[in-house]
Amino acid sequence: MNAPAALEFENVVKRFAFGETDVLAVDGVSLSIAPGEFTAIVGRSGSGKSTLLNLAAGIDTPTSGEVRVDGRALASLDDDALTKLRRDRVGVVYQFFHLLPGLDVRENVALPLLLGRARQSDALARADALLAEVGLAPRARALPHTLSGGEMQRAAVARALVHEPRLLLADEPTGNLDTRAAAQVIELLRDIGARHGATVVMVTHSLEAAAAAARVIEMRDGRVVADRATART
Amino acid sequence: MTITRWLALRPLLRSPGRTLASVLGVALGVAVFVAIRLASGSALAAFSDTVDAVTGRSNLQVVARGDGFDETLYTRVRALPGVQAAAPVVQVTALARPGGLRPAAAVTEGADGGPRYDETLLVLGLDAFVEAPFFRMELASGERGKGSLSASEGEAAAAGLRLLAEPRTIAITRTLATRHGLHVGDSLTVLASGVPTPMSIAAVIESEALQQAMGGNVVITDIATAQEVFGREGRLDRVDLLVAPERRDSVRAELGRLLPPTAAAELPQGRTKQVENMVRAFALNLTALSFIAVFVSTFLIFNTMAMSVVRRRRDIGVLRALGMTRGAVARLWLSEAAAIGVLGSALGLLLGTLLARGALRVVGRTLTDLYLVAQTDSLRLDPFTLSVGAGLGLFATLGSALLPALEAGATAPGATLRQGQRIESQPLPLKALGVAAAVSLALMVASALWTMSTHIAWGGFASAFFAIVGFSLLAPGATLAMSSLAAPLAGRLGGIEAALGARALREAVARASTVVAALTVAVGMLVALHVMVGSFRRTVDTWITQTIKGDLYVEPVGHRTSGSATSLPPELVQGARDLPGVAAVDTYRGTPITMNGLLAFAIGIDLRVQRDHGHLSFTSGEDAHAVLTRALESGGVLVSESFAHRHRVKQGDTLTLPAAGGAARVRVEGVLFDYSTDAGAVLMDAATYAKLWNDDRTESLALYVKPGANADSVRMAFVALCGPERLMHVTPNAGLRRRVLAVFDQTFQVTWALQGIAVLVAVLGVVSTLTALVLQRGREIGMLRANGATRAQVRRMVLVESGLLGLTGSLLGCGAGAVLAVLLVQVINKQFFGWTVRFQLEPGIMLQAVALMVVVSALAGLFPAQLAAGRAAAEAMREE
Repeated sequence: MNAPAALEFENVVKRFAFGETDVLAVDGVSLSIAPGEFTAIVGRSGSGKSTLLNLAAGIDTPTSGEVRVDGRALASLDDDALTKLRRDRVGVVYQFFHLLPGLDVRENVALPLLLGRARQSDALARADALLAEVGLAPRARALPHTLSGGEMQRAAVARALVHEPRLLLADEPTGNLDTRAAAQVIELLRDIGARHGATVVMVTHSLEAAAAAARVIEMRDGRVVADRATART
Repeated sequence: MTITRWLALRPLLRSPGRTLASVLGVALGVAVFVAIRLASGSALAAFSDTVDAVTGRSNLQVVARGDGFDETLYTRVRALPGVQAAAPVVQVTALARPGGLRPAAAVTEGADGGPRYDETLLVLGLDAFVEAPFFRMELASGERGKGSLSASEGEAAAAGLRLLAEPRTIAITRTLATRHGLHVGDSLTVLASGVPTPMSIAAVIESEALQQAMGGNVVITDIATAQEVFGREGRLDRVDLLVAPERRDSVRAELGRLLPPTAAAELPQGRTKQVENMVRAFALNLTALSFIAVFVSTFLIFNTMAMSVVRRRRDIGVLRALGMTRGAVARLWLSEAAAIGVLGSALGLLLGTLLARGALRVVGRTLTDLYLVAQTDSLRLDPFTLSVGAGLGLFATLGSALLPALEAGATAPGATLRQGQRIESQPLPLKALGVAAAVSLALMVASALWTMSTHIAWGGFASAFFAIVGFSLLAPGATLAMSSLAAPLAGRLGGIEAALGARALREAVARASTVVAALTVAVGMLVALHVMVGSFRRTVDTWITQTIKGDLYVEPVGHRTSGSATSLPPELVQGARDLPGVAAVDTYRGTPITMNGLLAFAIGIDLRVQRDHGHLSFTSGEDAHAVLTRALESGGVLVSESFAHRHRVKQGDTLTLPAAGGAARVRVEGVLFDYSTDAGAVLMDAATYAKLWNDDRTESLALYVKPGANADSVRMAFVALCGPERLMHVTPNAGLRRRVLAVFDQTFQVTWALQGIAVLVAVLGVVSTLTALVLQRGREIGMLRANGATRAQVRRMVLVESGLLGLTGSLLGCGAGAVLAVLLVQVINKQFFGWTVRFQLEPGIMLQAVALMVVVSALAGLFPAQLAAGRAAAEAMREE
């Protein structure tokens, strides 16, 4: 029997109401991403790619259609179960890093484990290990505002991976970085994802970033207009 | 204007919750101030109206400086050159009820279904023959069934004659007649020294002024009837005069030479002024307290405006880049604050007017209990108070918005500080704040010491103000310390979310510490008042228990209303002495006197009985027996501590008393602890009093029961002695103690209401600030949710934060409270009232305050917590 897809969208629609007008952010998207795949979703601003990512993380709910992670329909899960799913199986990296300014780097990285009630010493040890892996061990005790953009994003990647998620979602992870730092982060996402056996879905409008993925899905006006494998397949 | 509307007023509408909290904060502050001022103003205005109404058109008066003066003075005054008209007046306040005498009146009023005397009447005894120029006796015969009470001149004259000709007849106001459905021919029973005395209604008073005086509770009777009924034969309370305006000063000077010390020539407004002076300290203290709510609300406004600056920093940058000047930006924020101030003040005036009715009832009752000012229920909407209230709201709002507005103006053009990245706009100058706090606390100590040495009362308020400011300035440091101390502990006890909640205080220290400062002030005042009132209450309680040693206290019903117009028959006093089981009887009589322009009381008691059975306590610590023996031998007096303070006298000094028989020089033999009146009392032996005031009345008694005798049997025997025709309060020792403490507690009711509102405003600050912080931290909360934080964890995080705000504010507040309590007891109270209050700090009150504020703050955090937990993570992230 085949393993279920890591992430599936089936005829998913998402509407937002802005005053009296409805905006169709995602318009009947169906797609399936296999375990271990590194996929990039590209498109212009407003094409619906970030909304798609939020739907995948279960932090937003579709207006209609179904989203499945590891074969489990997210619509069937209540808020606590969704939270548990995110805590256990999903990691998210954002464009603006979203590190808590009052916590140092290793505390930020350990946060998802602590929220899941891991022992503090275990969580911090795991954070140290991941920080070493992303090359940030020397900055473990630094506060976020002392880091460069690239360092902050590497810390965010470490945080997203600290609980060994099966699915790593990255929303414009290079959008706020210079070219060199962006290249380092993309490489990190690809390598570390592969090392940890995670499926990586990355939303980006950078063609360089997308080129690192094995599969590129292009969106326009909420629809998937192209879905192709790259040379890296 | 358009720009102001777009950029200053629209944001207010876009955050209706936050706007509402700010408006409500200002409104509550203004409301409290307005309510207190309107209530005390109305009580005084009612008093002044009554004085005006009962003085008629008189433009000069001879008034008694105590319990009346000899009526022969009237003829001498009338004969003075320049006096165009003179009218003698006997004026007594008495309890009454509609209807005639009922058979078998109960001895204890109101008990066992006996009749209740619920109306307090002002009884004016006038001489119909000389009243015409004063226009008080506009009477109608008001025959039963006529339907109309309008009078013709003939009717008025006939009605006046009936008062004169028929014994025990009265005229009552239309207001009173309508209230009880009374007609001419019906009866009204008044209590005279406890004896129910039915008076027949002969006419109705038409004078409009008297319909308003004391709420219409005025009756007129013939002067001889009033003297006879109230045992004031040969005495007058006043002679009202009409003098040619240009000769008023010379007549006054002439009167000054003619009058004995028991009477004085005064302008009709004089009495109002005296009462104003008497209640000033009470009203001033309440007003000072009402400022606390306004002060607390300034923190709330400061926070709202400062957060608005941080939230819209990017907008300001754009505006500056587009050419808006610093001044224009600052004015924009001040306009926003002004809008809040105007709305808050308007709502505050409305709320204040509504609250004033309740406050009037409570303040009025206290003024009646403490200063014998008659109760009123008609509220005067004094435009000056309303304007000051509105101005205060606007001034407080603009004042507290000034710093944030200047900060907004200082924003660099094109600033694009990332929203939410940093909650604080700039780091707090902790060192400078610490220095400012130290300076403020040093000023507090200096002004307290200065007040104690100069006796200038407002210095006490200044020191309290510096204390409040000093402790408020400590709030940022305390908030940071709490965050650092609590985070590890909270993490261990409540998980990572609790630790994050604790750390959030540090992240938002400027906002959090403003709320902490508001809580500090509110809790500080709460604790201080508790300690002050508690210490005071215990002092009074100890004083009563130690000094009030009589077993039964006896006074005619209505004594507290009629005061010195009360006398018990000498045979009743002697009868009490002869009762089996009675060891001794102390007698009491008193009269208000005016010394150095201040009201005080001269009181005659039986010093021998006090020496042998009582237990007076003296400030010098000297043995009471020795002091009382000395006073008995020298014919000297004892003064209360508040009298000594107000008139700057001490043991061994000589006082000149304005006695009825002429100015009397007496030696002060001792200063005693006494908390019965802040006006001050001069106590002397009954014999001395009788000699100085030509008055051997007895108003009330204290019975000492022989050892082994049963107090209850003595009580029954005394009641039998009084007979059924006299209504008496016979109160056992414990009952008296309860009554004194009940009056005490009632006096502080308004205080608690004021404090409650200040705490409410501080809690509004917690809700408003936390809500704003939660909205500002939307992205952070979204990130936590995206990383696996449950709704419950987010909720707990915010609740820990709000609970810690409450904890920090209340801990600092307890410190402030302890210091403020010392200032209230040792400086303010001492300077205003001159009472020694044994200071006692109660840790229990502090623990309760801390527990209460942690719980209340956590509850105040519920809404923001729910808001945080309920926000979809995606929504929070989309905002970026």
